[in-house]
Amino acid sequence: MSKYETVIGLEVHVELATESKIFCSCSAKFGAEQNDHVCPACCGMPGMLPVTNKRVVDLGVTAGLMLNCDINRVTTFDKKSYYYPDLPCSYQTTQWFAPVCVNGTVTIETSKGKKDIRIKQIHMEEDAGKLVHDDWTDTSLVDFNRTSVPLIEIVSQPDLSSAEEVVAYLERLRSLLRFAKVSDCRMEQGSMRCDVNLSVRPEGSDILGVRTEMKNMNSLSAIERAIEYETARHIDAIERGTEVLVQETRRWDDIKGKSYAMRNKETAGDYRYFPDPNVMPIVIDDEWFAKITSTIPDLPEVKKQKYIENLGLSEYDADQLVQSRAFCDCFEAAYAECGMAKDVANWVISDCANMLNKKQMTADMLTIDGKALGQLIKLVADGKVSRANAKKILAVMFNENIDPAAYAEANGLIVSNDTGKIKDVIRGVLDADPKSVADYKNGKEKALMALFGKCMRELKGNCDPQLLRSYLLEMINQ
Amino acid sequence: MRLYVNESSKADGKRVVLDDMLLTTDLPTTAGSKMLENYVSLFEADIISKLRNAGYSVCGKANIGEFAIDLLGETSWFGACVREDGTLTNASAEILADDSIDAVICLDVNGAPRRAAALANRVFIKPTYGTVSRYGTIPVACSGETVSVMAASTAKCREALSAIVGHDDKDGTSLSEAQCALLKSDAERKAVKKVALASSLTASADEETKAKINAFRASLEAQGITVTEIDDQLLGAANTAWNVLMAAELCNNVSRYEGVKFGYRSPNYTNIDELYTNSRTEAFGDLLKTTILFGSDVLSTDNYMKMYDKGLRVRRVISEAFAGIFKEYDAVLMPACSKCSYSEADVKANKYIAYEENVYTAPASITGLPAVVVGGVQLVGAPFSDNSLLDAAEIYEKEHK
Amino acid sequence: MDREALRRLEKLNQLQLNDEQKEDVLAFFADQYDRIDKLSAIDTEQVERMVHVMPIFTVVRDDVAVQPFTRDQLQKDAPETMDGYWQVPRLVE
Repeated sequence: MSKYETVIGLEVHVELATESKIFCSCSAKFGAEQNDHVCPACCGMPGMLPVTNKRVVDLGVTAGLMLNCDINRVTTFDKKSYYYPDLPCSYQTTQWFAPVCVNGTVTIETSKGKKDIRIKQIHMEEDAGKLVHDDWTDTSLVDFNRTSVPLIEIVSQPDLSSAEEVVAYLERLRSLLRFAKVSDCRMEQGSMRCDVNLSVRPEGSDILGVRTEMKNMNSLSAIERAIEYETARHIDAIERGTEVLVQETRRWDDIKGKSYAMRNKETAGDYRYFPDPNVMPIVIDDEWFAKITSTIPDLPEVKKQKYIENLGLSEYDADQLVQSRAFCDCFEAAYAECGMAKDVANWVISDCANMLNKKQMTADMLTIDGKALGQLIKLVADGKVSRANAKKILAVMFNENIDPAAYAEANGLIVSNDTGKIKDVIRGVLDADPKSVADYKNGKEKALMALFGKCMRELKGNCDPQLLRSYLLEMINQ
Repeated sequence: MRLYVNESSKADGKRVVLDDMLLTTDLPTTAGSKMLENYVSLFEADIISKLRNAGYSVCGKANIGEFAIDLLGETSWFGACVREDGTLTNASAEILADDSIDAVICLDVNGAPRRAAALANRVFIKPTYGTVSRYGTIPVACSGETVSVMAASTAKCREALSAIVGHDDKDGTSLSEAQCALLKSDAERKAVKKVALASSLTASADEETKAKINAFRASLEAQGITVTEIDDQLLGAANTAWNVLMAAELCNNVSRYEGVKFGYRSPNYTNIDELYTNSRTEAFGDLLKTTILFGSDVLSTDNYMKMYDKGLRVRRVISEAFAGIFKEYDAVLMPACSKCSYSEADVKANKYIAYEENVYTAPASITGLPAVVVGGVQLVGAPFSDNSLLDAAEIYEKEHK
Repeated sequence: MDREALRRLEKLNQLQLNDEQKEDVLAFFADQYDRIDKLSAIDTEQVERMVHVMPIFTVVRDDVAVQPFTRDQLQKDAPETMDGYWQVPRLVE
C-alpha cells in the first residue's frame, strides 16, 4: 500500500444557526413535522421573491474569518438548475461567480504533526429538501422543511492525504464553527455533511488519478471507513485491474461497508449557472464588516493560553472550558462577576457539566446566565449559602432566570449565624438519640457523622459545616 | 377569449381587470398555460392591495399567451382572441372597449401588451423598472418584466399607475419610496421639449405604421416640440440580447413546473423522469418549449460566454447608448410593432414572430426604461420620466379625440 | 445544433419533441445563432456585465421566522400526497 498516495479534497456543507431560512421567512429549525416549515416560496409556487436573510451573510463572513479567508466585500448569488424532487423550484440559489470567502487555511494536528489545509472558497446557498422512501406504496415522499435552510459550503484544496487527516480537519472545522456560533455542526442531524473527493496515484507522481466523489457519510467513523474502502478500491483497480475507474459520484453504504455508483441523480447534466436577477449584490461595507469582526472570538487555543497565563487556571481546567464556546461565555461572565477563576472553572466543568449530562444535553446547550452563576459562587464564598444548597439553586438556574440571592432568601436557603438556634437544634438531636451519643463515646466515629447529618437536615443545610461540627463536638463532650 | 369575472366586485366605483400573470386568491391564475389550469394562489399580488386602497375593485382576469412571451396572446391554452376577419387581438385590449373598466394591469414580459395597446389604439405605460412591486406575479424574465397599465385614456392610465407605484419590502428589486414617488401623478416633472426619432427602427416598419409615427410627430411639433431623427443602429442589437436573456430566465423560472407539487401531472408515467417529461411535454405549447430549449442552450457551459454573458454586456452598451441620447433628448419615438394588424395566418406561418417584433419592444425591456404607447406608437424615456412621457402622450390624445 | 445535441437539450429540460417540432426548433436555433454571431460586432471587452438594471445593493431582511400557511393549504392543489408529504414514484439512488 505504501507506494501509493491518496489525494483528498472535501466539500463540507454546514447549516447555519439562523432562526429563518435564507430567502423566505420560514423557520429553519430542525425536527418539525413533515412540511410544517414550508411556504409558497420554498415549495416552488410562483410569485414570491427572494429577500436575503442578513444573518446568513453575518455567519458566512464569520466562518470565513475563522478560517483565515479573504472576504469578498461584494458578493452575489447565482442560480443552478437541475431536476430532482427534493428541489422544488428545480434550481438552487447558490454562489458561483463571487463567493463570500476565498483563500483560507485551516491548521490540523495529527500523529504526523501540524499541517495547513488550504480552503479554496466558502459560498452561501440554500439546502435541498429531504426524501423518504415508502416501501408499502413503492413511492418516494417529499419533505420541504429543509428546503432553503441556509448553508455554507466549505471547499478545500486537495491537500488531505489520509482518513486521519480528514477526521482531524473535520474536527477542527467543527470546533471553530461551533466556537463562533456559526452552526451546531451535528453530523447525526445533518447540519454538517461532507462529500469526499478522492483519487489515488503512485507516490511522488504529480499526475492525479481518476477522481470519485463520495456522499452520504453521517459520522466521522463512517467517513473514516469510507475513505479506507475507497482508497483500497482505487488501488485494487490500478494494480489488479479489478475494475475500470471512472469519474463519478458514489454513495457510501455504512451498513454494507461499501460504496456504490449513484444512479444519474443530478450528477450528469449541465447546471447552467447564471446570476440571479432577483437578488441584488450584497455589499459588506466597513461598518457592517467591523460589526461582524467584533463578534469573532479568540481561537480556542488562544483562549486557553489566556486562561492559564492571566487567570491562573490549570491546563486541564482551561482545556475543559475551551471545548465549548458556551462554557467559555459562562465562565467569563461568572468570573467578571465574582473574580474567582478557579472556583468558577470548577462549577462550570463539573457541576454544570454533570447537570448537562443528566439532561443528555451537549456542552453547547448550556444556557445558564454566567453573571448569576458568579453571584451564586460569591454567596458560597461569603458563607451565605452552603455548597449543597448552592447546587440546588444551580439546578433551578438551569430552567429559569433567577437572582440567586433573592431565591435563597425566599426559599430559606441562607446560612444561619444564629448560635442559639444551632445549639438548640444540636441539643434536641442529642437528647433524641442517646444511643448514637453512647456509640460515639465508645469510639464509633460513624455515629458522629450520623448525628452531624441529622443536625444539618434539621437546619436545612443552612449552616457552616465547620461551625456545626465544632459546636457538636463541644456539646457531645460536655 | 377567456375572462374570469369576479361576481362580488362592486358594479360602481373604479374597476380594473388583471392579466393572468398576476396572482389572485379568489380567481384562478393560469399564465395562459394548461400547466396552471385552475391554479389558485394562496396569496395575491402586492399591487392588488394598493389598488384597493386607491378605491379600485378587481372585477376579473384577462387571458394572455402562455407565460406572456408571444406576439399578442395567441398561444394561450384557452384560445387566441381572433376577430371575425381573422385578425388577432388581445383580451386586455378588448376588455377596455367596456367603458366601465378603468384599466387593465398587465405584466409586460416580452412586449405583448405593448403591441396589443398599439394595435387597438389604447394608452399603455410600462413604468421604470423597480417602481411597481413584482411580488405576486408569475416570474418569467425577472430582470426586465414590469407590471404595467393599459387604459382607454392617458388620464385613466396615469391614475391607475399612481395607485400601484410604491416600494415593497417583499420585492428585493423594488426601488425606494422616494424614487417611486417620482411616478405619482402629482410629482414635479420636466416637460418633453426635444424628441429623438429612431430612424432605422421606423424605417423597418410598414407604411401604415410610419403614418402613425408621422401623425404623432406632427402633434408634437404643433406644440413646439422638436423631433429629430437619430442613428439608432445600436438599439437594434437590444432584440438579440434580450431574446437571449429572456429565454434563459424563462427556462429557469418555468423549470419549477414539473408535475410534483401543484399544477398539471401527466397520467402517463412509471418513474420520476417520465412524470417530469410527460407532464411538461403534454402541458406546454410549442413556443414555450422552443424558448425553454433556447434558454437552456445559451446558458450551457459551451455557450455561456458568447451568448448569455455577451447579452449582459450588450445590455450595458444599450443602456449607455440610451443615457447618451437622453443627454440631448427627452424621449425616443419609435414604433411598438412593425404592422398595424396581424392575422392568425401570420403567426401560423411564423410562430417565432415575437422574437422578430421584439426589435421594437426589447430596447425598453432590456434596460428597464419607461415606455408609453399612444396613437399606435411608442415613446421611451429616461428612468423616472414616466409622467413626462404621459404628458407628451396627452398632447397627441387631445388633438386626436 | 444538431439532432443529437437537441436530444440532450430536451432531456436536460424534461421535454420531448416530435420530429416536426425538432425540424422547426433546429431552424429556429440556426436563425438565433446567426443573430448572436452578429453581436460580436459590438466590442464588449471592457464592458461590465449588467445583471440588474437598477443600481441597488444589499437588500436584506432581519432573521425572524413566520409561518403564514399550513401544510394543508400548501397541498390543496397537489397532484398526490401521503401523510403530509408530496408523493412521487420511487427514486433509486
